[in-house]
Amino acid sequence: MPVLLAAATIVWIFVFLLPGDPARLMAGGQSVDPEILNSIRHEWGLDRPAPLQYLCYLEKLIRFDLGTSYVQRRPVVSIVAGSFPPTFILAVTALLLATGAGLVLGSLAALQRGRLLDSFVLILALVGTSMPVFWLGMILMLLFASRLGWLPVLGYGMEGAFIPFTSVRLPEWDHLVLPALTLSLVSLGAIARITRASLIEAGTSEFLQTARAKGASRARVFVRHTLQNALIPVVTVIGMDFAGLLGGAVATEYVFAWPGLGKAIVRAIGLRDLPVVEGGVLFLTAVFVLVSLAVDLAYLYLDPRIQYAPSG
Amino acid sequence: MSRVGTSRCSRPGGARGLLVLTLLAAAGLAGACGRSGPPAPSSEQVYRFRLHEDPPTLDPALANDEFSESVVLNVNRGLVVLDPKTLEIQPAVAESWTVSPDGLVYTFRLRDGVLFHNGRPVTARDVEYSFERLLRKATGSPRRFLLAPIAGAKEFTAGTSASIAGLAAPDDRTIVLRLAKPFAPFLSELTMANASILPREIYDDPRKAYLRAPVGCGPFRFSRWEQANFIELLAFDRYYGGRPALDRVIIRMIENKTSALQEYIAGGLDSLDEPPDDNDTAMMAKVGPEVHRFPFMGTGYIGFNLALPPFKGNVALRKAFNYAVDKQYLWGVLFPGSSTPANGIIPPGIPGHDPDLPGYPHDEAKARNLLAQAGYPAGNGLPPISCWVNTGEDNRRIAEQVQSDLKKIGVDITIREVDWGAYIAAVSGSPEKPGQAPMFRSGWSLDYPDADAILRPLLHSSNWGPSGNFGRYKNAEVDRLIDQALVVTDPKERADLYRRAERIAVMDDPPWIFLNYYQARTLYKPYVKGVVLSPLGKFRLPLDRLRIERGST
Repeated sequence: MPVLLAAATIVWIFVFLLPGDPARLMAGGQSVDPEILNSIRHEWGLDRPAPLQYLCYLEKLIRFDLGTSYVQRRPVVSIVAGSFPPTFILAVTALLLATGAGLVLGSLAALQRGRLLDSFVLILALVGTSMPVFWLGMILMLLFASRLGWLPVLGYGMEGAFIPFTSVRLPEWDHLVLPALTLSLVSLGAIARITRASLIEAGTSEFLQTARAKGASRARVFVRHTLQNALIPVVTVIGMDFAGLLGGAVATEYVFAWPGLGKAIVRAIGLRDLPVVEGGVLFLTAVFVLVSLAVDLAYLYLDPRIQYAPSG
Repeated sequence: MSRVGTSRCSRPGGARGLLVLTLLAAAGLAGACGRSGPPAPSSEQVYRFRLHEDPPTLDPALANDEFSESVVLNVNRGLVVLDPKTLEIQPAVAESWTVSPDGLVYTFRLRDGVLFHNGRPVTARDVEYSFERLLRKATGSPRRFLLAPIAGAKEFTAGTSASIAGLAAPDDRTIVLRLAKPFAPFLSELTMANASILPREIYDDPRKAYLRAPVGCGPFRFSRWEQANFIELLAFDRYYGGRPALDRVIIRMIENKTSALQEYIAGGLDSLDEPPDDNDTAMMAKVGPEVHRFPFMGTGYIGFNLALPPFKGNVALRKAFNYAVDKQYLWGVLFPGSSTPANGIIPPGIPGHDPDLPGYPHDEAKARNLLAQAGYPAGNGLPPISCWVNTGEDNRRIAEQVQSDLKKIGVDITIREVDWGAYIAAVSGSPEKPGQAPMFRSGWSLDYPDADAILRPLLHSSNWGPSGNFGRYKNAEVDRLIDQALVVTDPKERADLYRRAERIAVMDDPPWIFLNYYQARTLYKPYVKGVVLSPLGKFRLPLDRLRIERGST
């Protein structure tokens, strides 16, 4: 809760300090009657002193009310609820891709340490991490969609199925591939490198000799002992990356016209739709906190040395 | 929770092994994807075009941008409509109208058989309701000024009157509007999307469902809107003008210009508002024949802040800057095909446009002389000048070229590129206080084809600040001519008054560097027929004339 309160306050201050007049942008156009501007300011409480605006904002937050969009004139909650699922689906898919490929490549690199494959994976990881997402997305689009025609160029699709009992529509699966692949390459490098490093470190542990001495096969030693123990730092990286992917999918969403929350927040900043910026960032902060908690719990699960100690 | 040392291999690890395998399998599944190209053509008439982002609103009263208007104008209809080709005012919900000789009373006869999309007939009561709604303060319309000329409108908005004195519906098919004083462009204003006729039973909904599901009486009915993804419209079978040829319209939100072009080439869009630059020969080789160019009602300029030095009261300096800029190079070489060089304010095609206005052809020698006359020989003594631009590659390139041209006569300016919110705050200021930007790149697209729609907001001294006259231009003779033209009903006389006002503002007392008259450039697939290349621009277009004829070229 203190984290969320601090986040809410920081976001509010930054948003408040943005240059520009929200009423001016709400009115739209280049020519606006000053009397209309004044009535917009009054209607939305923008003519009140800043501390009062802040207190009103907090008072609404306490009631779980994120306010109403200046531009769309509907609750911010419904805007966030509409744009978060596409971002979540994209981030989860990207993370699954990055994790799968990262673990495989990292493992191969560790097993082939010092050889050509290892160098290849290291270079690939470096390139994947270093390339700007925007540029990478465009390259993948030009290659797989425009030139080869294997995949749609962009978009979420119009005909995906709805998740039962919700108004959340899934993307058409082929529309998901390129943006997810683009986004996954951001994390893939980090996961591959940490997997490689952890496996190399775990590979020198004495408990592996014990396992081998007990007659365990090479495959069993690798999967059950080496890889499993090496996963702990990997899970930490994955957790951090997932939170980062949720907030950092903006460039991918922009390139592939993906209707996600990151893009909605950036657009709201441009329009000075302050309630959407505040609500969106606060929601992502809450998700970040929850993901961090989940990572801690996973850490507890994966590492037998971590246990709940009896209090007192 | 605390860390307690135990053996790493002591704990059964079945579930953990499963986790590892699940991650690997999921990654594999997600990656095992096949191909799928753009939607296959079918016999259904579907037209797909792109907006850069969601329209801010679909409520006609609130629409104040071309993205909103692109939808609103096709879902709704007003009393009258602009013919996109000729720009003449045509009947819409009103089948005919008369104007009293004194220009004060407009009497409209409504067409029989006009239906809202919910099946209810449109009556004069709906016109009354829609106009009251637009004027009501609680609606918050930024364009209620469109109906302000009606007698009693201001009192109604202020809440001092429960009804609008100049608005009456004597029967179900007649609506009478009485103006407080003659206002020549009034009929043009009624063609705006904001003056659409709306059904009370939908727009009085306290839950405001109409914001996401509007109902009108236009050629297309709203079907669905997925945020930041698409809007779908369907043909309205009982449209008074006859069912449109298109069965469906899909409006796709694609912000990135490059991605949108790739989608157009791949066949996912039937038109695109941002073709590749003419200088992009590789792309133009692919889509060049599909690029349509046509002038539209807009003028681009670089404004001076006339309330602050060095431009305040210094006509010679403003003229020097005008002569220094090479507009032929800008629109002939740097942005070929996107605009034509401007010699003034009123764009071609608008009554009052003066093709004989000399303007300021590029002349460095004259610019240097005028700069010296202005008190700044070779630019010496000029204070720091910044030119503010709204974020965007084209805006930046234009400003950089102007910067380079001014440098040639010894004037150094800096460029401030900021986003729209910061830009408009820095440029427009308030009615009381000037903006901070000494120079600013801007443009103006006319709401309707009348010179008043550009001269009044941008140059009349009553519109200083956010109302449009950002540079705080004030010229008593220009004010007088603009005011006089507003009450004159003879079109020729009006055009002459506007020509005189423009000539003063351009040749005697320039408030801007006059840059360009806009040209629209749009891509249309060859199978899209019935395209109107309209001075209204790329978005404010009726789609009921379009049809798809696949197989044709």
